[in-house]
Amino acid sequence: MQHSAHQAYLNTRVSAMATRLFAPGTLATLAHRPLEELAKTFGLTAALDSQLPVKTRSRAVEQALIKTLLSELRILILPMAAIERTLVLDWGRHYALSNLKTLIRGKLFDLDRKEIAANLYELPPNLRLPQQDQLFQAENVLELLRQLEGGPYSIIARQAREVYERKHEPFALEAAIDQRYLTGLVREIAPFEATGAHSLRHLIGAVLDRVDILWLLRFRFSYKLSPSETFFQLVPSLGRMHRDRLLALVNLGTFAQVLAALPAPLDAKLAGSLDLVDVQRRLNAHVREEARQVISRGHSGVARALAYLIQREQDLLALFSLFQGRLLELPTELVEIAIEVANPRCPMNTGRATRAMDNATLSPSRHPSQG
Amino acid sequence: MLRPTPMKHVRILVLGEDLPQASLTLAELESFHADARAPEHEDLGDQPGLPYRDTWRQASSRLEKITKLIPLPTEGAPLNPRVIPEEELVETNNWLGGVWEETSHYEEQFRAIDDEDRLIREQQSALSNFEDLNIDLGMLRSKTRFLDFYVGVVPYANVRQLEGAVGLADHLLFQYMVTGDDAHVVIVGPSGDKEAQLESVLRSAGFRHLPIPPELDHEPQVMRAELTRRREATTAQRQALSQGLADWSAGLLERLLASREILRLAEPLVELDAAIRGRGALAHLTGWVPAAAVKQLETRLRETLSLPFALTSRDPLPEERSLVPTVPTRKRLLAPFALLVHQYGIPRYGEVDPTPLFAATFLLMFGTMFGDVGQGAVIAGLAWYFRARLGRFYLFGLMAGASSMLFGLLFGSVFGFEHWLPALWMSPLHDPLLMLRLALGWGVLFIALACVLAIYNRAVIGNWLGALFGQHGLVNLIFYLALAWGGLNVGQGQSFGPGPTLLVLLSLGALAWHGWGHLEAPVSEKVLVVFIETLETIVGYVSNTLSFLRVAAFSLNHAALALAVFTLAGMMGPFGHSVTLVLGNIFMIVLEGGIVLIQVLRLEFYEGFARYFSGDGHAFTPLRLGPAPGEKP
Repeated sequence: MQHSAHQAYLNTRVSAMATRLFAPGTLATLAHRPLEELAKTFGLTAALDSQLPVKTRSRAVEQALIKTLLSELRILILPMAAIERTLVLDWGRHYALSNLKTLIRGKLFDLDRKEIAANLYELPPNLRLPQQDQLFQAENVLELLRQLEGGPYSIIARQAREVYERKHEPFALEAAIDQRYLTGLVREIAPFEATGAHSLRHLIGAVLDRVDILWLLRFRFSYKLSPSETFFQLVPSLGRMHRDRLLALVNLGTFAQVLAALPAPLDAKLAGSLDLVDVQRRLNAHVREEARQVISRGHSGVARALAYLIQREQDLLALFSLFQGRLLELPTELVEIAIEVANPRCPMNTGRATRAMDNATLSPSRHPSQG
Repeated sequence: MLRPTPMKHVRILVLGEDLPQASLTLAELESFHADARAPEHEDLGDQPGLPYRDTWRQASSRLEKITKLIPLPTEGAPLNPRVIPEEELVETNNWLGGVWEETSHYEEQFRAIDDEDRLIREQQSALSNFEDLNIDLGMLRSKTRFLDFYVGVVPYANVRQLEGAVGLADHLLFQYMVTGDDAHVVIVGPSGDKEAQLESVLRSAGFRHLPIPPELDHEPQVMRAELTRRREATTAQRQALSQGLADWSAGLLERLLASREILRLAEPLVELDAAIRGRGALAHLTGWVPAAAVKQLETRLRETLSLPFALTSRDPLPEERSLVPTVPTRKRLLAPFALLVHQYGIPRYGEVDPTPLFAATFLLMFGTMFGDVGQGAVIAGLAWYFRARLGRFYLFGLMAGASSMLFGLLFGSVFGFEHWLPALWMSPLHDPLLMLRLALGWGVLFIALACVLAIYNRAVIGNWLGALFGQHGLVNLIFYLALAWGGLNVGQGQSFGPGPTLLVLLSLGALAWHGWGHLEAPVSEKVLVVFIETLETIVGYVSNTLSFLRVAAFSLNHAALALAVFTLAGMMGPFGHSVTLVLGNIFMIVLEGGIVLIQVLRLEFYEGFARYFSGDGHAFTPLRLGPAPGEKP
């Protein structure tokens, strides 16, 4: 009885919050508004403080948007049962992992401590890295990971440390962190056999399908990793990119062959894509559509809440890209590409376009589930 | 005694050069609670203490890590207060950085030995496993012309993914054993050009080779002895390394202790950091100080600061009440009760500190409900015996036991025996109705007192409307006392009485009128809400008063339980009789004593604190010289 009441409350909450999601076309309209108007509309006046450097203003906007997302997460988990709450909180912990990667990069490249601190997200206590202050004081990467091994991130930290000790490659280290994080997320769906498992599997499956396709294409054809190595870095999805399919796909020799061999409807959605940016844009739209379906047709409160958060995060990231574009005074056409409301018509390897995309879509907040 | 220690808001302007000395002086006096609010003047926006704080934090972190490997004496030497200039702090930090770098090498060597030890243990497990296999192990040891073999350990979580990955390189993976988080595996496949990519995958998967020694083919016992010898060797290595560390660190101890003292003396400025703002050479810090200590603070600053400074103080503003810290009671006897009060909350500044009242009523109710000279003496005796372990809380046990003994004398009960001592008053069982009447009377007094305190707490902050009409305000109190008066009349066989009836109706009418005025809803909803709230007021006060019947109920229960124990003991032989009495008394002390304790706390918290105590204040935590890492607080 109590569970039903909580589900009803949660579902109502999600329905009410879903009105905050951007309707189709909203971003396209926003892309033409000036910075002042955007800042007033979304209450992000920190972006207007011309006394501060652009980087600081951009960071303040990003932090404010993350705060918004996490405060909504906090509201949504209130009526949830323990396993539901754990799942949603763990999804939100990718921001803590982002902080971990920032700390690792800072230690690896011996960055100034102030610069590292300025790039860390302020997170609420239940999402923060345990002992973040001590981690910040660590003198090198190994010490940092050793400290982390003593807490709830022990599995991630141990794997990352062992990989780092053997390979000494920042890429391998971050890949190990992402892989372990996503594997843990998949494992948390298992106890949901009876309650709302279908919607959750569908949703997490769509998210992982996206990650797997992007990673597969990137590792095989950009980083030129072997099929074995590529497969090892992937996380078998609960959706269409399951283990056997990944085994088959990593053995294919070209970008186009992989796209052609994808299962329906992904093959149709990605048909004709020539580069990773375009693939990423189309996959984002796919995840968005799947999340929208879960919100509108799903019955499980936790699945709908998670779908809302995933979609909301995409909206807020697009909004951040929009602000960043305005702060960097980029042309509207480039901003539209960055927020994925326009197709890239210019070659993506030109310096200006690449820089714009890097600024707009590859910000540090990009996390494993965003590929 | 119930009123809080008066506080002043203090603002100090010092020159930057004097800031470390000012912080040290404030810490020595232990009377300055920092106020971290931004200053009213926007010009004072700088945070002059930031670099100092960052250096201190890094140095403290380093010292903490070092002391995990090089323990320092936990008792620090007496502090010689002096200012720690930033240069000295930086120099200490750098020196600690060098020491930590060296110490971390030792740490890594200890870890390498642990890893080696773990690997040997894995090999011992593998040995036991291979012994039983009827295969030629020589085949697994090295590559053949056509086949590659990899025998080793991999994290269990990676096995399934690794199996797929090696499959893509035309290899097969067999898992033959799981130990803890690791799986023992054999990977086999054709020799050839895929070896390099496989090595890379194995590194990513955290694969560790477990070489199969030749002895395993025919003499497993030789191998077993060899592994045992290697484990002994790692133990010896660990001892040697520990000795090396001890020898190396012996020369550092003095400087490490000095560094600890430096960090301790520098800490006050770091702690103050949030409250320090400034502009140029001027630093501005604000905080809360007990009114009686302001003069001493000013005098001491005048003595210690070499440059001019300005100190101003004022009373807290009404809107600042929630920010003013409350000085906890320092009376030794009340300290354990304060601990219990703080479990509920800390009194807001201006609010009555409930600790003395809590202590008195707690002891009164506990004694009434658990009155026995012998059992009280046991409780007091145990509290005294374990005083070292209980700390100041032993006084709580001592006083609870004493109260129990006092009421035991009144009831004439010693370990349940009611004929050993003549009762100074009577046994509860002699007149249960009187006990119940007294408990009800006590309940009325307790609730009325709680209401009076609630009224006072609101009036003192100028919340007159709340004091009059709020929950447990004056109108509520009038209603309750009238209800009690009418109830008393009924209890004496009379009618409720016109006076009480009039007061009850008037007070309920006033509450309803007040509630009606504060509701914004349709008339029908207002009627419903006001009716339910009025009903709730009546039912609430009646049920809360009846709640106090438990005080009498438990005193009766205590006597009845003793009677039951004696009845049981009477059915035994001489030995069984004694054993039953002892066990019965232990049972009563542990179980009944525990239940009574919970019930009294429930009455205090629910019937008392919930009425008048907001508990949303915060404790006065003055700046002081704290312990350094590795030092006893």
